[in-house]
Formats: sequence, C-alpha cells, structure tokens
Amino acid sequence: MSAKQRLAQVVGIATVGALSLGLTACSGDESGGDDLTTIGFVAVGPEGAWREANETNIQDTFTEEAGYELKYAPATNLDQKSQIDAFTSFVDEGVDVILLSATEATGWEDSLKRAQEAEIPVILLDRGIEPDDTDLYVTRIAPDNIEVSTAVADWAVSAFPDGANYFVLEGPAGVSVVNERNEGFDAVAGAQPSLVKVGAQTANWSTEEAKGVVETVLKSNGNDIQFIFAQNDEMGLGAVQAVQEAGLTPGVDVKIATIDGTKNALTALAAGELSFVAEYNPLFGETALDVVEKVLAGDEVESSIVVPSATFDSPEAAETALPDRKF
Amino acid sequence: MSANAHGPFEALKGLVRRQYFWGIVAIALLLLVNLAKDPGYLAVSVGSSGNLVGNVIDILRAAAPIILISVGMCLVVATRGIDLSVGSVMVVAGAVSMEFLKGAPDTVGSGLAAIGLVVVVSAALGAVNGMLVSVVGLQPFISTLVIMLAGRGLAKVITGGQNTTATNEMFRWTANGHVLGLPAVFLLALLLAVAMGLLVRRSALGLMLEALGMDAKAARLAGVNRRALLFTVYILSGVLAGFAGVFATASVMTVDVSRTGYQLELDAILAVVIGGTSLAGGKFNITGAVIGAILIATLDKTVVFLGVSSSATPAFKAVVIVALCLLQSERVRRAFRKRRSAVAVRPAEREKVAA
Repeated sequence: MSAKQRLAQVVGIATVGALSLGLTACSGDESGGDDLTTIGFVAVGPEGAWREANETNIQDTFTEEAGYELKYAPATNLDQKSQIDAFTSFVDEGVDVILLSATEATGWEDSLKRAQEAEIPVILLDRGIEPDDTDLYVTRIAPDNIEVSTAVADWAVSAFPDGANYFVLEGPAGVSVVNERNEGFDAVAGAQPSLVKVGAQTANWSTEEAKGVVETVLKSNGNDIQFIFAQNDEMGLGAVQAVQEAGLTPGVDVKIATIDGTKNALTALAAGELSFVAEYNPLFGETALDVVEKVLAGDEVESSIVVPSATFDSPEAAETALPDRKF
Repeated sequence: MSANAHGPFEALKGLVRRQYFWGIVAIALLLLVNLAKDPGYLAVSVGSSGNLVGNVIDILRAAAPIILISVGMCLVVATRGIDLSVGSVMVVAGAVSMEFLKGAPDTVGSGLAAIGLVVVVSAALGAVNGMLVSVVGLQPFISTLVIMLAGRGLAKVITGGQNTTATNEMFRWTANGHVLGLPAVFLLALLLAVAMGLLVRRSALGLMLEALGMDAKAARLAGVNRRALLFTVYILSGVLAGFAGVFATASVMTVDVSRTGYQLELDAILAVVIGGTSLAGGKFNITGAVIGAILIATLDKTVVFLGVSSSATPAFKAVVIVALCLLQSERVRRAFRKRRSAVAVRPAEREKVAA
C-alpha cells in the first residue's frame, strides 16, 4: 500500500509541477504585453523526427518578436481526448486563432462548432478531419501525399526505361497516409506496363521489420527485383540493409526510393544507398504565419493550401541539402 | 506417424503426447505450404561469404528475440504470473545501447560495455516488476502493465523521442554475424534458452516455481521462499528481454522508439501457450516455448513469402493460431477420439449382428 501511495504522490507532484509551470509561463507572457495575438496550438506531440521538426518550426515562427503568443498543447500519448480538452480550454480562454494537428481524423465536429460560435478561426495543420466539412475551419495547410508519391512514380518511370519489377513497403494497413501514398504512386506506376508490381507488404514504418520483409521478398522472387518503393525513410533504410545482406548492391542492382526526406535518408542518398528521396515537407511555419495574418485582417483564404515539397534524385542533390537539414 | 519411425518407438510416442507436438506439426505444415509455392523454399546454400543462406536460416534468425522473451515469459507464467513488460524492456534496452554506442568508439570493448549496460538496466526493470509483485503484492498483470507503459516512455526520454542509430561492429555482429555458417543470433538465443532450461530443471528451482504456481500457500508451508523466487523470475525475464532488445536493434543498428518490441509480449504469451505451458501456472515447458517462438517466426515469414496482403495478415495469423489452439484443446481432442472410437465400434457391432 505504501508504495502505491508513494507512487500516487509522485504522480501528483509531477502533475502539479507541470501545471504550475504551464500557468507561470502563461501569466508571464500575458504580463509581457497586451498587444500580442494569442494562438492556441493543439499539437500531436512526440511522434518522430518529422513531427518534431514540424512543431518546432511552428513554435519558432510564432514568436513574441513576431507579435504572437503561442500556447503549445501537445497531446498526451497521441490521445484525442487530451486534444479535445486543450481545444475546448483554448475556446473558453478566447484565444485569437487555433492551430490544430488532429491525432484522429474523426470526432471534431462539436469542438469546431464551439469555436465557430465563439468566432475563433481554426486552421488545420498537416492532418485533415473526417468528414471533411470545410465550413468548420478556415483552411488546411499540408504537403500533399498524393503529389509526393506521384513524384516517386514519375522518377521510377524515367529511371527504368526498360521496365522493372518493383515491391512496395507500406505503412500500417488502413492509415490515410498509406492509402494516399498508394493512390498517387499507383496512378502513375500502374499505368506503365513495363513496371511490374511483384507485391506489397506492410513493415509498420519500422526499419527492423522492413529488413525482415525485404530479406524474404528477395528470396521469394529469386533476387529479381530492381526497384523498392518504401513509403517512409525508416523502411527504406531497412531495405538497404536487406539488399546488402543478400549480396546485392543498393543503388545498382536494386534502386530504393523513399518518402519523408529526413537527415538519415539524405545521408544514405549521398552515399548512394538510396536512389531517390521525396520530401514530405514539415517546415511550413512561414505559410501558416501568412495565413494567420490574412485571416486576422479578414481576408479570404483557400480552403486547402498545399505545401511545396522538394525531391532529391542524386547524391549531389542530397549533399547540397544536408548541411542545413533541420530534421 | 509410426510408419516413418526410425528411432525408438517409445520416444516418438512420448513426443506425440507432448502438447508442443502440434506446434511442430504446424511448423511443418507452414513449411509445406511455402514449399508448394516454391519447390526451392527449403534449399540452403552457401553464400558468397561462406555462410549458410536460405529461408530457413532467415526464420531461425527472426525467431531469436522471440525465443528469449518466450523463455522468460514461460518462467513467469509458471508462477501464475505474467510479464507484459517484455516488449517495453526490449525498447529500453535498445535505446540505452544505441545512445551509449552513438558516443562511444567502434571497438569490441564499447560493444561489450553496451551489452553490460543493457543487462544492468533490464535487470533493474525486472527487479521493479519483482518488487511490485512480491513485496507490494500487486497483481502481476497490473505491475508489469505499469512497466510496459512506462518503459516506452522511458525509451523516448532516453533518445529524446528520436529513432537513434549508431555504429559498432561487435554489437552489429550479435544479430548479423555467423558462427560455423549459422546465424550467431540464433545460436546465442538457443544457448541462453538451454542454459535457462538446465538452470531450472537440473536444480530444484523449476519444481519450486511450479509449486508456487500451483498453490502459493502450500508452497510457503513447504518452505519455498516466495519473495526471492518471484524476484529471480522477473529479473530473469527482464534480462532475457534485454538481450532480445539487443538482438532486435543490432539487426539494423537503429532503435525505433515506437516500434521496437511493440506488442511482442503478445507473441511471447502465444509462444508459451503453444508450447504447452498453462497460463493458470503450475507447469511449464521451456522446449515448448522455444518451439512456439519458432512457429511464430515461421508464420511471420510465411505471410511475407506467400505475399498475403497487408490488410489480411492479422486474420491469416489468427486463423492459424486458432486452429492450433483447437487442436491442442483437451476437449476437442476428446471429441475427436470419441467419434473415432464410435466409428471403429460400429462395424464390430454389425459383425456381431450378422453372426
């Protein structure tokens, strides 16, 4: 019993500490200046390198120097309920704008309606909502998965003029990102009869699982695979190791393309292990700042804003981009 | 079965009566299915580097981490406990070793130091489980659930939420190296499993664990030190999971804080049950757990080899496992036996009538 109580105490103290930190941060900022525009950022929180780059970028953009006070509320353990709570308290507080990266696409109607009644504009960052009712929010700013995966397919078509057998490493089945990345890729690659899809399998975004999957797929196809499309960088890097272990040379015998564009992937591209990296650009703080200014000035904005993403198709391109890679 | 019995008939009969016999049958069936798809499936050749290469070798390599956590789980289950934290201990082990190796020189020494560090950390996590269960007296399910949730958080704190990579040849060798052409990782796992088996079966430890699982009160009256035993078992399970974490991360030299060891506790429980260890405690079978682990690895590899679509994978695995559990269930077996004997009896009766 005593240990349980002690645990409860520790948890209690930690919670109080975190709350008071948050409170002092808020009160400190408020006393700092009354002319600051307050922004509530309902965020996803720790999820991976991409998300971290994205949210740090937003926080670095809406600074006090730029005339903003950003209240950052990451979800606890990717839990939607904690996001809804944060959202509601931002509405009650009466912030000027709410930025939302939803962990789950569904279940936002009521919260968004409350914001609408309180006349607080809501801007969606990266993640969309379901059903996609554009009346409930001002705009969604995000890179386009379909566009990014189409870029990979376009590259594959040009890189294999004589055709190729290819394999797709997918994320977890059913996730919208996976569906969109398949949709964009298949639209182009599926229409190319010389590109033969030998299969697709999930590796759950994981390097380790991707290595295991590719190892077996290479054997079941007698190493007759020339191209692997990995839907994220981590899986692509796992594929590189499996290809090497099968005694083949990645980039020569098997070309591997990935999506995301993290530092690790660009390093591998610079070393010639990956052949193509399509960026899924997380750095759209500037765009978000633009939109917020327009919205506050009462201007109209498009209901969907696509963030432009770069592609890297050579070791040289990767080397140029590497020094100031933020994620 | 007796048709192809070359060895002593009795030994074979004993094997058939073992519960893990059906696990072996299932492995053989899965391999047959793969063989039907590609007649060269079982072929093992000598690769360019002089090591054995083949699908079977891949299965053995993939089975190694599961073998380790299953053996640990097996011992815990014997005491009527359960250890849900093995997957999280794996990710903590991976995080600790990758963070350490990131800043360390690429030498054998630092590789060994990383493994030593993993042993210490995973033993500590196991000790927390042991303390919560034996001293505080919490339900094993809840105590290990706490570590399961906290462990992944801890790994995120250690790596700063990043997937960390490092280079160390010695560390990498544990998962990718070869001894006598066989994957070192499988031999190491087997070695640890055999060592555990000898430890518990050649001493009274195994009997005491079973006594504890059958009736804790009676065991105490018989002089079994419950607290020390539970501590030992949870620490062993933790350390074995730590090694599994080393193998899982060393394979790609990357720790993926959200994926490494994710839901592997379920695989371990499954392997233990397939191996004939009762979740109600009181009896355990380490050989069975090892076979269960190999079966799970075979199943995973089969799904990929057959090209079962990602969305159908969980259903495919579930069907195989349900079928296996049905075969093992005493009630189903009895029903089958009854029907068979009924069929056998009827012609005899008819003869009687005819006579």
